[in-house]
Amino acid sequence: MKIPLKYNLRSLWVRRTGTLMTGLGIGLTIAVLLTMGALVNGLFSTFVSTGHDTDVIVMRQGSASEPNSWFSREAYQELRLLPEVARDSEGEPWAVGEIIVVINHPKRDGGSSNVMVRGTSQRGLEIRPEVELAEGRMFRKGVRELVASRSLAERFQDMRVGDTLQIAANDWKIVGLFDAGGTAYGSELWGDYDEIAQVWSRPIYSSVTLRANSPGETAGIIEAATEDRRFQLQAMKQKEYFQMQMVSAGGITALGLFIAIVMGIGSTFAAMNMMYATIMARFGEIGTLRALGFRRRSILTSFVVEAIILALIGGILGCLLAIPIQIYAWLTGPMGSMNVITFSEAVFNFRITPFLMSLGLTFSLFVGILGGFFPAFRAARLRLIDVLRD
Amino acid sequence: MKFVRLLFKSVFRNRLRSLLTVSSIGAALFLIATLLTLLYTLTNPPETPDSALRLITRHKISLMNALPTSYLEKIRSVEGVEAVIGSMWFGGVYENKGVDNMLAQFAVSTEQFFEVNPDMEITEAEKQAFLSDRSTAIVGRKLADRYGWKLGETVHYKSNLFPVKVELKIAGIYDEGGDQGSGVYFHWDYFNQAMQNNGIMGTFSIRASSPESVPLVAERVDEMFKNSTQPTKTETERAFQLSFVEMLGNVQLLISSICLAVIFAVVLIAANTMAMSIRERVREIGVLKALGFQRRQVLGLLISESLLLALCGALLGSWGAKFFFRGVDMAAISAGFVQQFDINGLILGVCAGLGVLIGVLAAGVPAWRAAQRPVLEALRNV
Repeated sequence: MKIPLKYNLRSLWVRRTGTLMTGLGIGLTIAVLLTMGALVNGLFSTFVSTGHDTDVIVMRQGSASEPNSWFSREAYQELRLLPEVARDSEGEPWAVGEIIVVINHPKRDGGSSNVMVRGTSQRGLEIRPEVELAEGRMFRKGVRELVASRSLAERFQDMRVGDTLQIAANDWKIVGLFDAGGTAYGSELWGDYDEIAQVWSRPIYSSVTLRANSPGETAGIIEAATEDRRFQLQAMKQKEYFQMQMVSAGGITALGLFIAIVMGIGSTFAAMNMMYATIMARFGEIGTLRALGFRRRSILTSFVVEAIILALIGGILGCLLAIPIQIYAWLTGPMGSMNVITFSEAVFNFRITPFLMSLGLTFSLFVGILGGFFPAFRAARLRLIDVLRD
Repeated sequence: MKFVRLLFKSVFRNRLRSLLTVSSIGAALFLIATLLTLLYTLTNPPETPDSALRLITRHKISLMNALPTSYLEKIRSVEGVEAVIGSMWFGGVYENKGVDNMLAQFAVSTEQFFEVNPDMEITEAEKQAFLSDRSTAIVGRKLADRYGWKLGETVHYKSNLFPVKVELKIAGIYDEGGDQGSGVYFHWDYFNQAMQNNGIMGTFSIRASSPESVPLVAERVDEMFKNSTQPTKTETERAFQLSFVEMLGNVQLLISSICLAVIFAVVLIAANTMAMSIRERVREIGVLKALGFQRRQVLGLLISESLLLALCGALLGSWGAKFFFRGVDMAAISAGFVQQFDINGLILGVCAGLGVLIGVLAAGVPAWRAAQRPVLEALRNV
């Protein structure tokens, strides 16, 4: 027969100070883990949401990223005219060649970081409709003008509309801000290809983006683009290229896992301590339960359940603690870390999601099971005669 | 002192609980020692007299813009420059062993290489073997150990940055140096040849003639190229290394908030244990007071007990971390960001201090309440 849940709830309520303290101790651990998870999640979702299923990115063979890649204009001309590339109603191919340069620029809160500048064209804007102008106007052709992502402008100096961004000896005017819709373009400055290629004296392309008629036809483009051995190019699905950059979250993930393991052990011991204490204080009760005919197994289950409830209280407190952290993150704006593939700033949003919270609760569930089992086992093993005599 | 036995008797009264308490405090302090060391290592790259004399010149726009090789001779002529080498980050992957391109791996001009890097520990014979053969490389001990490289072995490197593959014969293995034995250095001439002689240099490493001339050299070099199309930024090796850490984001805020949360959690957990332990001994404490123990003596005993447990946990955790990380290759785990991961005396001290703090905070309220409780009530209590 099962021992009613009410028994456990009442017992936790009687020891409410202890329950709350242990719960809060576990809760703080969960809150730390949720914070780490939110950072990883923010970085991941930025890269996952970037790119189109129909698009292919072409770079020089062996380059892991756009800033590290370059090839000739001649190669670009051949690529854009590939028969596999989709065309618009006027017969123009859906292709754009771009140059990526990296500038080191001061951040608003001190220090400096690398920022990617994308030299693009009208076609580049058309091929990425998710990037929308939010303030000011677009850059013009043939002028030293840049538009910045809004999140980037919040993190770096001189990137508001009307500011002048000095890069080496050249002045660039910030004429607009764009909203990148949560994609990786939110870490970039955009300007006119010709102007940037000229100032950097690099008449080259870093990457070419080609659009297929359907996601299924991207394989044809990849094959055609890499076929010409003269240019030594590599092509891959655009989405794959951005997903590869998720390794940037590797450091935070490793740190988060390490914290999860160590604090998981700490919290389990804490829950165990609490459960041992409560069981020792309840020898008489346990004896009575046994005398009433409850089986050892019922007692074991009952105390494990009690430990789980204790830990889940911690889990819930942790999720509640995470809410003000999320609000603080909203107020302070986007965060930044290093994109290890492009070696430049990756701007992302701190995101605590219901999924993360459910992971946190699952974690606390395991703390409860592990922390509760040994004490509960001890309670179940007690001999009726000993307990009643006590 | 005469109460030491009593203290130990109380601690061993419930061994399981003491063990669990010490373990949970230990786990927390293990974590804190690790996090603090991570923060300390990232923000305090080791500085030696030699490394303090080194400056790095890069393109003003960013590290990802190369500089003309002609700058090498121009920098050499600057007053206060004792030696200078040009280097190009190779961004290589060794036999496609994952992304280990964060490591120090450079094509370097060799004529003054060891003048700029006198802190590299390498035998004279290996030095000469490296200098005399363009197809050779020297590698750091840590890297050689990680990949099992031996002297005379040929390694194949493929660049992620240039359309170049190189075959390098290992002529020497060095210890220490600016990167603490975790780099690969080979001849820039060889690299340049592979690049069809349009080779470029990414940075210049300068050794200044004296500590006083370090800031002056930086100023003079940057002044010289100020109005050229390729202006430079020269900074100390330390500042250069720290700029990478800056790019990681607000590591300091992240780590210190985690530490605070962990400390708070462990104080709560320890306080709860102390409260439980004291509650079970209400009558015992009443007896002590009936025997004539003063309130502050009782308070002192209870706090000492908590202190003892917390301090044990802190020492166990922090020293445990010290021994644990001795066997861990942090450079490999952190892709070269953390070269040396040693939990030093300062951090062990901080952890011990935190142990004391946790002990006092945990025992404070319950111990005070127990000490204040009237004898009669305590003795009546069940």
